[in-house]
Amino acid sequence: MDRRHSLALLGGSCLTAWAGVPALVPLARAQSADLPPLAERLPEDAEVVTPIQGVGAYGGELRFGLRGSSDHNHILRMVGPQGLVRWDPTYTEVIPNVAKSFEVSPDGREFVFHLRRGMKWSDGHPFTAEDILFNVDDLVLNGEFAPTPPRYMTGGAPMKVEAIDDLTVRFTFTEPYGDFLAELASPLGQHPVLYAKHYCSQFHPKYAEDIDAVVRANNASDWQNLFAQKCGDIEIPSRWGNPDKPTLDPWVVKEPYTGGATRVVMVRNPYFWQVDTEGNQLPYIDQLHAPIAQDVESLVLAVIGGRIDFGLRHLDAPANRPVLAQNREAGDYRFFEAAAVGGTNMVINLNLTHKNPEMRELFNTKDFRIALSVGMNRQEIIDTALLGEGEPWQNGPFEDHPNYHERIAHQYLEYDPEQANARLDGIGLDKRGPDNMRLMASGRPLRFQIDVIPTSQPEHIDMLQIIARQWADIGVRMDVNALERTFFYERTSNSNDHDAAVWGGQASWVPGEIPQQIVPIHHDSRWGIPWSIWYKTGGKEGEEPPPSVKERMRLYDLARGTPDPEQRREYIRQIADIAADEFEVFSVTKALPSYGIVKTGIVNVPDSMPSSWYYPTPAPVLPQVWSWTS
Amino acid sequence: MLANYIVRRILWAIPFLFVMSLIAFALIQAPPGDYLTTFAATLAQSGDVVDQGRLDALRERYGLDQPFLVQYWKWITGVLAGDFGISFEWQQPVSVLIWERMALSVTLALSTLLFTWAVAFPVGIYSAVRKYTLGDYVVTGIGFIGLATPNFLLALLLMYFAVTTFGADVSGLFSPEYQNAPWSLAKLGDLAAHLWIPVIILGMSSTASLTRIMRANLLDELHKPYVTTARAKGLSEFRLLLKYPVRLALNPFISTIGWAFPHLISGAVITAFVLSLPTSGPLMLQALLAQDMYLAGAFILLLCCLSVIGMLVSDILLAFVDPRIRYQ
Repeated sequence: MDRRHSLALLGGSCLTAWAGVPALVPLARAQSADLPPLAERLPEDAEVVTPIQGVGAYGGELRFGLRGSSDHNHILRMVGPQGLVRWDPTYTEVIPNVAKSFEVSPDGREFVFHLRRGMKWSDGHPFTAEDILFNVDDLVLNGEFAPTPPRYMTGGAPMKVEAIDDLTVRFTFTEPYGDFLAELASPLGQHPVLYAKHYCSQFHPKYAEDIDAVVRANNASDWQNLFAQKCGDIEIPSRWGNPDKPTLDPWVVKEPYTGGATRVVMVRNPYFWQVDTEGNQLPYIDQLHAPIAQDVESLVLAVIGGRIDFGLRHLDAPANRPVLAQNREAGDYRFFEAAAVGGTNMVINLNLTHKNPEMRELFNTKDFRIALSVGMNRQEIIDTALLGEGEPWQNGPFEDHPNYHERIAHQYLEYDPEQANARLDGIGLDKRGPDNMRLMASGRPLRFQIDVIPTSQPEHIDMLQIIARQWADIGVRMDVNALERTFFYERTSNSNDHDAAVWGGQASWVPGEIPQQIVPIHHDSRWGIPWSIWYKTGGKEGEEPPPSVKERMRLYDLARGTPDPEQRREYIRQIADIAADEFEVFSVTKALPSYGIVKTGIVNVPDSMPSSWYYPTPAPVLPQVWSWTS
Repeated sequence: MLANYIVRRILWAIPFLFVMSLIAFALIQAPPGDYLTTFAATLAQSGDVVDQGRLDALRERYGLDQPFLVQYWKWITGVLAGDFGISFEWQQPVSVLIWERMALSVTLALSTLLFTWAVAFPVGIYSAVRKYTLGDYVVTGIGFIGLATPNFLLALLLMYFAVTTFGADVSGLFSPEYQNAPWSLAKLGDLAAHLWIPVIILGMSSTASLTRIMRANLLDELHKPYVTTARAKGLSEFRLLLKYPVRLALNPFISTIGWAFPHLISGAVITAFVLSLPTSGPLMLQALLAQDMYLAGAFILLLCCLSVIGMLVSDILLAFVDPRIRYQ
C-alpha cells in the first residue's frame, strides 16, 4: 500500500477574493505540480452557481464524521452524485448538472444531452461523449459486469445510447419513460458518467491487452473484482478507495476510504466545472476531512468538542437532540433543519400475503385493519413516545405538497375503541379466551408478532409497546419482535416469514422516489412481498396479486412513463385513490424534520434542506459553495 | 524430557487449530443471510436502496450460494497457500487489511501486560507485607473499583471529561499528522504518547485482580515455617521476601500469560470501538457484523494462533520456574 505524507493543515481560512485558487493542495498525481492556468482548466461553458448568501472566500477544511462500517454513501452525499442532471435545492425540479442542457422528445422516448465544451476529468483529461458510451455500452449494458439495473430498461428492453457528436448524446427507449430524468438525478443514476474511459478501460477485458496479467498483478479474483477495486461502483466503499481514479466531483480522494483507514481526506478538484457569479472556480473549501469513529457516541462527543463542521447522518436521532442543543455555544455550531419530504417514519404493514391461510384471511379483512387503526390512541403515542412532537397521520405527502391526498392521509385516525370492538365482533372475532383476548374462528387465540429493527429508530420500540397495550384493550394481542437488521431483512423481504413489520414511508411520490406503501413494487413493501416479486420478475416468480393491486402496478408503469408532470401526478392520484379504498397499511404520525449541525463560521448553508436519499441530502444544496468566514 | 514435551505440545496445536478454524468459519456463517443481505440492510437503514438483481449476481460471483463445506474448503486451502481471500466489503485482498492492525493489537496487548505486571507486582507485595494498614486499605479500595468498572465505561468517561474539561481528544492512537504517515521514530514516539490511555483503561481490571492474587499467595507463604527459620537466621527482610515467598507467588503471573493474551485482545474490542483505535478489534467486529467472512475468518484464525502460542509460552515458562510441574 503506498502511503503519502499528509500535509500540515492550514489553520483557519485565508480570505482572498481573486479568481484563482490560492494554496492549491498538491494532488496525489505527479503532473499536478504544474497545473495549466485556470482558463484552460474550466470548461468554456462552466456552470455558474449563485451562492445563497453571496460570493465566498477560499480555504479551510470541512470536517464531517464517518462511521467505521459501510459509510461510503456518506461521502457520496457530501461530494454529490455528479450525474448528468441533479435535483434543484427545493427537490421539485430536475436541472442540468454534468450536462449543460437536455431535451426530451414529446413522446418521452428520447433524451438528448448536451455536454460542456472543454470539460475535463479531475486529472485534466477531456470528458466527452465517448466516456458516456463506455459507461453505458461496456458496463451498464454488459451483463458480464453486472445485471443491467431496471432504471435503464423499459418493457424489458435496455436503452440505446448513441453519440451524435463529441458533445451530444442521445438515449432512446422502446417505451415512454418520463421518470428517466429523475432516475438520473438520484444517487443510483450516476452510471452514465461514473467512470473515466481513459483510466478505467485498462481494467476492462475489451480494452486491456492482457487482462489476466493485470488481475493477477493486483491480487484480484477476476476482472470484475479488479474493476471494483480500482474504479469502484456507485454504492461500495472502494469507490472512495483509489486516489488515482479521475472523477467529476468537486473534491477528489487523497487519503482513501479503506478497511484500515482511520480518516478520509479529499482535496479540491482543480478541473471542477462550476464557478460562482464572479467567475471564481468552486469549491471554496480546500479539503474535506472525515475522521472515522466506530461509535456514534464518540461522533456526538466530537461534535460537542467542536471537532465536526457539518453533521446530519448518524447524529439526527431525537435522543441526541437535547445534548447537541445544549452544547451549541461550546461547540460553536448551529442547527439546520432536515425537512421531511412528506409521509411518515413508521408504517405498520400487516402481511397480506401471510403463509398461514387463517392469518392471511384475517389480515385481508378491511374491517380488521380499520379496527386496529381506530383502536390506536395516536395522541397518547405522540405525547409519550415522541415527547409531544407529531401530528396523527396515515400516509402520503403533507398538505403543502402538490401530491397531497386528503383521504389517504386522514381516514380512520380518530381514537374510537367502541367502534374498534364493534368491527372486530362483526367479523367473527367475538369469542374471547380466559385472558380476555379474542379467539379466531379456529379457536386459536388471535396473536401476531410485529418485526422491527430497534437500532435504526429507537422510538419505534416505544411506539409499538404503547400500541400493543392499546390493542390489548380491544382484545388483540400483538408482540413486539425486535430483530438485528440483517435478520429482519432476511425474515421479511427475502423469506416472507413475518406476520407484520414496520418501515418508513417517507415517499412524497415524486419521480425517483418509490411509493412502496401504496403499491407493492419493492422489497420494502412488507405488506405484499410476493406481489412485489411478481411485479419485478414480470410475473415469472412470486405470487399473482389481486386485481386492485395489478391495476395500481399498471398505473405506476404509466406514471413512470409519461413525460408530462401533470399527467404523472394524475396517475399517482389514481393509485392513491385505490390505496385509500383498500386501506392496506396504516401509521401513527407525520414524519418529523430532523436536525443537523453546521459550524457558525460557515456561510451559504440553507437553514432548511429536504432530507432524502434520492435527493440526496446535502449534495443538491451544493457544499462546494459553502465557505468559511473569518 | 522438556524438549520432548515442547515438541508434543506443538504437534497437538495443529489439529487443534484446524478444528478451531472449522468452528470459526461455522460461527461466521451461523447468522442468517450473508454479506450481501447485510450490505442491503445497512444501506436500507441509512435510507439508501440497493438493487436486488445486482445483489443476486454478486452472490453468485462470490460463491455465497454454495454449500458450507465447499466454501470452507475453498477458504482453508487458500489460507494454507498464504491467500486469505478477498474482503467483500472493501474489495481488497484480506492480507492488505489485517497485518498493520494485528501488529498494533499485539503492541497494545503486550504493553498492557507489562503495565499490569509492573504495577501489580510491587503493589501486591506491599499490601501483603503491610496487611491491614491504611496503605493496604487504599490500594485494595482502588483495586476493587478498578475491577468493578467496565473498560468501555471508563473509556467513555475519560473521553467525556477530556473533551468537556480540557478540550482534548483522547481517541485514536496517533496525532493527525502521523495518522497516515509512514513508520518512523517520530511516529513511534507519537504512538507511545497516545498508547498509555488505552493501556491504563485495559490494564485496570487485570491489574486489580493480579494485585489481589499476589497478596493472597504471598500471605499464604509468609507464615510458613521456612520464613520464620530464615528470619531467625538473621536474613534481611528484603532478601528473605524475594528469595522464596515471592518466587512461589509468581506462579499465577506466568500461568496467566496464556489466557491474558486472547483476553486482552477480545476485551479490547469494545474499548477500541469506543476510543476508535486502529487495532484489529473494530475491524473484526465490523467484519463479523457485515458477515464479511474472509476478513473475519482471518482475524479469528490469527487470534486463535496467538492464544495457542500464548498457552505454549506460559506452559514452558511454568515448567522452568516451578519444579513441581509434570511433563505429562
